[in-house]
This record gives sequence, structure tokens and C-alpha cells, in this order.
Amino acid sequence: MLVMGEVRTGLLQNSGEIPESLCQSVLGLLSGERVRVSRRPIVYAVSPDQLTGVDCRLASASRARVRGVGTVLSRASVTGGRLLQGSSHIRVVRSESDHRLSWSHYLARAGVVEVFGKVRVPDLAEGFAENGARDDCLDLGSVSERFMDAVQASPFLDRKAPFRSARTRLRWVAECGGPGSTGTGNTSAGTGAGAASGSAASGGAEIPGTGVLSPEGPAIRFTLGRDQVRTLRLVLPGGFTPGVVDFCEDLALHDWLLTTLLVIVERARVGTATRGEVTAKLAPAVDHLLHLWMPAARLDEGFAPFWETLERRPGFSRQWQSLVERVRDQIAINTLALLREAGGW
Amino acid sequence: MLVFAISDKGGTGRSVTGSNIVYRRALQGSDVCYLDFDFGSPTAGAIFSVSSAARGTAQGGMHRYLEGRLADPHRIDIWSESDREGLRTKPPGAGQMVLFPGDEGGGEFSTVSEEMLQRCVRLFARLEEEFDLCLVDLSAGRSFAAQMALAATARLPGVPFRWLVFHRWTRQHIIAADGLVRGQQGLLAVGVQHGHDEEALADHIRFVRTAVLEPDAAELEGLRETQKAWLNECDRELRELAGRHRVGRTSMLGKIPLDPVLQWREQLISDEDVLSSQIANAETVAAFDDLAKKIVDDSAWEAL
Ligand SMILES: Nc1ncnc2c1ncn2[C@@H]1O[C@H](COP(=O)(O)OP(=O)(O)OP(=O)(O)O)[C@@H](O)[C@H]1O
Ligand SMILES: [Mg+2]
Repeated sequence: MLVMGEVRTGLLQNSGEIPESLCQSVLGLLSGERVRVSRRPIVYAVSPDQLTGVDCRLASASRARVRGVGTVLSRASVTGGRLLQGSSHIRVVRSESDHRLSWSHYLARAGVVEVFGKVRVPDLAEGFAENGARDDCLDLGSVSERFMDAVQASPFLDRKAPFRSARTRLRWVAECGGPGSTGTGNTSAGTGAGAASGSAASGGAEIPGTGVLSPEGPAIRFTLGRDQVRTLRLVLPGGFTPGVVDFCEDLALHDWLLTTLLVIVERARVGTATRGEVTAKLAPAVDHLLHLWMPAARLDEGFAPFWETLERRPGFSRQWQSLVERVRDQIAINTLALLREAGGW
Repeated sequence: MLVFAISDKGGTGRSVTGSNIVYRRALQGSDVCYLDFDFGSPTAGAIFSVSSAARGTAQGGMHRYLEGRLADPHRIDIWSESDREGLRTKPPGAGQMVLFPGDEGGGEFSTVSEEMLQRCVRLFARLEEEFDLCLVDLSAGRSFAAQMALAATARLPGVPFRWLVFHRWTRQHIIAADGLVRGQQGLLAVGVQHGHDEEALADHIRFVRTAVLEPDAAELEGLRETQKAWLNECDRELRELAGRHRVGRTSMLGKIPLDPVLQWREQLISDEDVLSSQIANAETVAAFDDLAKKIVDDSAWEAL
């Protein structure tokens, strides 16, 4: 089975972090149901699942006309009262019918998009990962972004963010194996979890151009693109679990933190600008970002190997740690220098 | 902050001045973007030396975004995509500089629908997250684009905005600039229709004089005494006229001198153009620099 999604991550537009009680109000705007909150090791609040009905083309690398009908599953979340994410995904299966069925059929399968005719998994996976929403194709990123916009427009937020930052876009594609895998590389007929196919584990759906994807075990490949786009390719022989979505959101969150801190440090012009200016530019990072770094904190054990792979290369935490040390050292040195100038030392 | 650039007459210098302000602000370290809302003639790409978007983009620009035909309007990172070599390296400490071009063959809107307005509101809110300064180049005169800007800002109470009204230093331009703000279907009147408070809106509007030739400018040195006296008299009259039309010094945010380079070509003026090749005047760059600071300086925007 093919699962694909897009996570957009940005700074909640408020002067400070918001308390847990406000997370409820801010995310509750999306629907009447309750917001789920977990408190350890970091406050994480997530909206109820949102469904968006779609009937449109899916991107394909070969530009084949692939029509998909179903629902997109989305949610918005706030981490540490400070970071906002919009996340959407679909599970792609082949339709058993050759025409569109009633909406009740699709609504009963939340997050499933059924495609008509024969499609090749690598073609869809590649098309989505490389191009996202080309030529009127399903645009999961903009669905995610809509939910973010709704949160950012909340009257509970003061819109006075401490610094400017770009939203990042993590587009992910997971090829999931599991019971019932046919190994043909095509999506087989079916609507549920048991009908998954197209896994690289069975050898048939090797993804062209992604040498690191091992046919035997789970595999992951993370790529930085332009315009804040990142792509993540996953192979999950064990099949799809909702934990995949959590993992992708967690990765997107930490990638945003790293991306944003890099910009803040670059702009501080360490060594060129005056000590006061450098400190002023770095201070928001200390106030709002440094404490949020907690990779894999909320994830299923099963995803630990993925994080370990990413920690080896590109080495997220290594780069983050070195940046954090640089920020702290700069602030310490600058404070000492300012004290000395003031005659205190 | 959203900054709307407008003028009553065409060819005033709105786009060239607006682009240079954005450029100066980026050099000063802010993250800036330029939105081409001059749907009828989206030429900002040419000023930023992006030839692929010289007359708007073919990849989905502002016009198509507002029509709802795409979710992500085309964005051009000037520091990496400009054809001008001197612009292609971002100086250390400079902010982002992004152009959101118009569409090739877009055309003015003939109405603003509720959906279009919502898209505009969403766009402004998103860009405000990312950029310190978003300059929106509206077309000349009373356009639907200007109306949309007024309506959108009325719906975004948390997002600060300012208006710059560009005009040349002539009788006709001074009178027209006043009319655009305070006349029939002017900015204030339309703003009030969309829910703005008239006085508060007026406090967010300032005038910018473009291509000004001061009577004591070096360019005029060779003139006869009688000519100089006549010019001085004209200038005095204009100042008086401007005062009467409330376009005078107190409501002016800045003035840009007439520049030989800009007279020949619509472009960004780099420090290089002033220091090494010496084709542009240092006063012009100083005026852009000053304006770029004043736009965000609250003391320059205290109630009149
Ligand atoms: N300070 C200046 N000195 C000399 N020429 C200038 C100056 N500012 C602008 N110009 C020139 O005036 C002309 C009109 O400028 P510009 O295109 O910026 O005006 P505009 O108001 O945007 O026009 P339009 O209404 O057509 O969009 C251009 O040729 C430009 O180079
Ligand atoms: Mg123009």
C-alpha cells in the first residue's frame, strides 16, 4: 500500500508560547470535538481528525492521468505551545468499482483515496514526492496549510510573533508492506489494510533512483529541496500504522527547528555585528526555540531506528547541538564583554 | 507589515521606487517581499532583472492565485534567480528578498468576489508570518486591487499596514495625489465602506515624491540667473499648493531625487552603481535607504 502526506510546520503567531488551556481553544476552532493533549515530555495538543473529500487527479511521474476519489485525513497540532503543524495524508488503494460511488462509501473509509484503473506505485510515489501539486493534481500541502491558516487566524492569538520565519513543507511517501502484499508493484483491489501491496519488501516496487531503499528491511531517505520543501521516502515492510504520521510530523518539527535556528544564527552576523546586535538577534532563539528539541519523544518504539539513521546522516542532533552551543557561547561572551565595558569587571 | 504602493497617475515611479525600497530594506537585514498587484502590467520582474518574469510569470502568479486557480503562487528568490550578477550573492546579514510576480497576460479584475477577498486575506496573513515587510504594488488610480487591499486589511486587525502614495512634483500630480486619498471614491472613502475608521486610516497614509529636481541641484548649475529665479518661484508655488492639498512636508514620508540611471532604465540601484561604476547618484541611494528606514519607523508615522 502507498501512503503519502504532507506536513507543514511554522511558528504559532503569538508573542509568547500559549498555555495548554489555550491550545484547546485555538485548535478547537476546527471542529466541535475535543482536542487531545499529552503533557510529557512536552505539551502536545492535536485537533480532532478532519476529513476533506476529494475527486481529482493524482500526480504521477509519467504524467499518466490518474483519478482518485476519497477523503484526505488532516489534523493540526501545537507543540510546546509554540510550533504549529498542519498534517494531511492519504492511503491509496485501487477502487473495486470502475465509477465513482456514493460519498457514504468514501466517508466510511477515512483517509483512503481510491484510484481507478491500473496504476504503478513507483509512478505515483515519484510523482508526488518530486512534484507535489502539479497541474491541478491533489495538493495535500495546501489542505494542511488551510488548517494552519484557520489556527493562525484564531482570535486567541495576538499575532505578535517574536521573529519572522518561513513555513517548511515535508512531503512524505511510505510504501507499506504487510499481510496480503502481492508484490506486483501495482495497487491491488481492495479498500482496507489487508489489501496492501506494492511494498519494496516483495521486490516488485523498487523505486527508481533511490539507491538507499533496501529491499529487505525498513528504509528511509530524507532530502532537502528548494523553497522549504523536504521529501521523505519510507519503506515499511511491516505495514502502515498511524505511528508513521506521528513520525513524519516529528521529523518535520525538528527539521523546522534546525532550519529556523540556522537562519537566526546566520542573520546574527557573529564576528561582524556589534556584540549588542548579535545578542539581540540570538535572544529569540533562546527564549522560544532551544527547549523544544526532543526528537522521537512521543514516538512508537518501532520508529527509533529511523531516527537513528537520520542522526547518523544528515545528523540532525549533531548540527542542532553545535548551533545551540554557538548561540549560548555567543550570548555568554557578549554578556561578559558588556559587563566589562560597564566597568563591573 | 504590509505596505501598499499606489499613485493616481501611471508612470509615477511607484514600481521603481517600491522595488528599491524593498531592496534597501533587505540590505538592512529585514526579510522582504514584493507583490505585483498591478495586474494589467506586471513589470516588477524587469526591475529586479528576472527576465523570465519581465512581463509577469507563466508559472502562476498573483492574478491566478487570487482567481483560485492555484494554491501556491510562484515565488522568485531574487538573491538566487536575478539575471544581474551583482544581485546574485546575498550580502552577509541581508534578509530574504522574494518577488511574487503577476501573470503574463493577466489583466485587471473587473470585480472582487468574496472568495477572492478571502484568498487575499489568507495570502497577506501567511506572508506576514514570514516577512518583516511585504510591499504590494497596486496599479495606478482607483482599482479593484486597491479596493481589495482596503477590504483585506480591514479583516486583519492584528497585521500592521501602511500606504505610500507616490506622486511627481508637478501641479497635476499634487492635486491628483490628494484626490486619490481624499476625493470621491478615494482611499479614505472606500476604506470606510470596508470598515476602516477614517481618521485611523488617514494616519496610515503618507506621500512620496518621485524624480524630484531641486532648484539648487547640481544638474541645474549652468542655468541663467533668470531661469533659476523662475524655477525657485515655481518650486515655492508647488510647495504652497502641496500644503493646501495636505500633501505637504508633514504628510510626506520622503522624496527621491531625479536620477540619471532611473530616467533611462527601470532597475535597482546598487551600491556598485554609485561607488564603482558611478553611473547613479549617491543621493538617490541615500533617499531610498532613508525611505526604507522610515517605512518601519513609528516616529515617522505619528498622528498628524
Ligand atoms: N527617481 C527617478 N528619477 C528618474 N526617473 C525615474 C525615477 N523614478 C522612476 N523613474 C522612471 O519613471 C518611469 C516610470 O517609473 P515606474 O515604472 O516605476 O512608474 P509606475 O508608477 O510604476 O508606472 P506604471 O503606472 O506604468 O506602473 C520609469 O522609466 C522609471 O525608470
Ligand atoms: Mg509600475
